Amino acid sequence: MNESKPSATIAGAGKISGGTYERISISGAGKVEGDVTAEEIRISGAGRIDGRVEAKEVETSGSIVVTKDLVADELKVSGSGRVDGHAKVKELKCSGSFHAGRLSCDYVKVSGRLRVDGDVESEIFKASGGFEIGGLLSADRVEIDLGGRCQAREIGGGKISVTRGGWKDKGLLLDGIVRLFVGAGSAELRASQIEGDEIVLEETIADVVRGKTIEIGPGCQIGRVEYTESLTVHPSARVGDQAKV
Amino acid sequence: MAGEEKLISKKEVLERMGISYGQLYRWRRKGLIPEDWFIRRSTFTGQETFFPEEKILERIAHVKSLKEEHALDELAGLIKRKANAKLEVTLDRLRKLDWWDERLCEMCRHPEPPVPPEPPSPGGKRKETISLNAALCVAALRRLRDQAGAEEEDLAKRTLEAALAGEPLEALRERKVTLYLLRKRLRAAGIQADISLAAVASSPVTFDPETEVVQSVDLGAVLERIQLELGKEEA
Repeated sequence: MNESKPSATIAGAGKISGGTYERISISGAGKVEGDVTAEEIRISGAGRIDGRVEAKEVETSGSIVVTKDLVADELKVSGSGRVDGHAKVKELKCSGSFHAGRLSCDYVKVSGRLRVDGDVESEIFKASGGFEIGGLLSADRVEIDLGGRCQAREIGGGKISVTRGGWKDKGLLLDGIVRLFVGAGSAELRASQIEGDEIVLEETIADVVRGKTIEIGPGCQIGRVEYTESLTVHPSARVGDQAKV
Repeated sequence: MAGEEKLISKKEVLERMGISYGQLYRWRRKGLIPEDWFIRRSTFTGQETFFPEEKILERIAHVKSLKEEHALDELAGLIKRKANAKLEVTLDRLRKLDWWDERLCEMCRHPEPPVPPEPPSPGGKRKETISLNAALCVAALRRLRDQAGAEEEDLAKRTLEAALAGEPLEALRERKVTLYLLRKRLRAAGIQADISLAAVASSPVTFDPETEVVQSVDLGAVLERIQLELGKEEA
C-alpha cells in the first residue's frame, strides 16, 4: 500500500508548496509554489500553479494557470484554463476557454474556446466551439461543427470533416437569429493547408487541400485542391485550381 | 549539413511507400517520425512539406515492417511515455542485439537493486529486466568505448546518470541532448597533465578552443535506435 498522502484545501486566500498530494482543492484564491503531483485537483476559485503539474484528474470551473507543463489523464475546463507549457492530457473537455502552449491528447472535445500557440495532436479532435491553433492540428479524426471562428495553420489526419454548425437544421429563422448574434460569417474555418484521406468541408477558407476523397461543400473558398481518388465541389464553393495527382 | 541532404516531397513519399496521409500523421504523432524531418517549403502550388529522402524512406519501410499494431504501439509507447525512467525492458531482448555489452550492462545496472530471487512460480521463469535509462547508458557508453579509458567510462556513466535522473527521455531528442567526452591538456611549471571531462548538454555547445572533444554521442539518436531495434525484435 502507498503511504497516505496529504490533501490540501484552500478556501480563502492561501499558498501551499509543491509536492505530492492526494487532492488539492481551491475555492478561494490559491497558489501552489513548485511542481506538484496529485490524484485530483479541483478549482472553483482562482488557482495558480507555479510549476509542473502531474495529476489524474484536473477540473476547473474557476480559473487555473499552470506555468509549466501539465500532464493529466483527464482535464475538464468549464471556467478558464491556461497552461504555459505543454499540456499532455488523455482526455480534454473544454466548455470554457483553454489556452496552452502545446497540446497532446487522445481525445479532445471543445465546445467553448481553445487556443494553442503551437501544435495540437490527438487521436480524436471534436470541436463545436471555436479554436485558434498556431501550428499543426493533427488527429486521426477531426470533426468540426462550426460554432465560431476556427483557425489552424495546418490540419492533417485521416478523416477530416467540417460542417456548418447545428442550427441550420433547426429552421432558417433560428439560424438567422443565431447568426445575427454570433455575427454572420463568423462561423468558418481558416487554414493554410488541410491534408487527409477523407475530407468533407463546408464554410472553409484554405490555400491548399490535399487528400484521397474530397468533398468541397457550400461556402468554401479553396485555392488549390489536389486529390488522388475523387473530388466533388458544391456549386456555391469556389475552387481556384484542382488537380488529380 | 542538413542543407546537403536530398529532399523528397510528401506526395512522393506517400506514393512511393503506398501509405496514406492518416498513417503519416499518426506516425508523426506517435513520435515514430521526428518532427524536424518535416520541412516546410513554399512552392508554386503553395506550401509543401519535404523530408530528408534517405531517412524518411528507411524509417517508413521500418515502421511498415512492424505490421502488428501492438508492436507499433509498444514502440511508440517506448518513445513517448513520460515515466520512461521507470520503464523496463527485458534483458533477454536486449541481449539479442548485436551491440549489447554485458560488462557495461553490469556496470550500468549497479545502482539498481539486484533482481529479487525468482519467486517459485510454476508458470515459468520471471523475466529479468533493466530500466530503459540503464539500457541507454549501456548504448551510449558503448559508443565511447574505443576512445575512452576505464576512468573516463566511469566518469561518463556517472554524468549520464545524473543527467538522466528526472529528465523525461522524450526530451532527449527534442533538445538534442548530447554526451561529450572531453580532454584538456594542462601545462604548468614543466609538468603536463591530461584531464578528462564528461558533459551532457543540449547541442550545439561550444567548448573552449583548447578542449578536445574526444567523442560526442547524440543521446536522442541512441535512444531511438534502441527503441526501433526493440520494436523490430518484437515484430
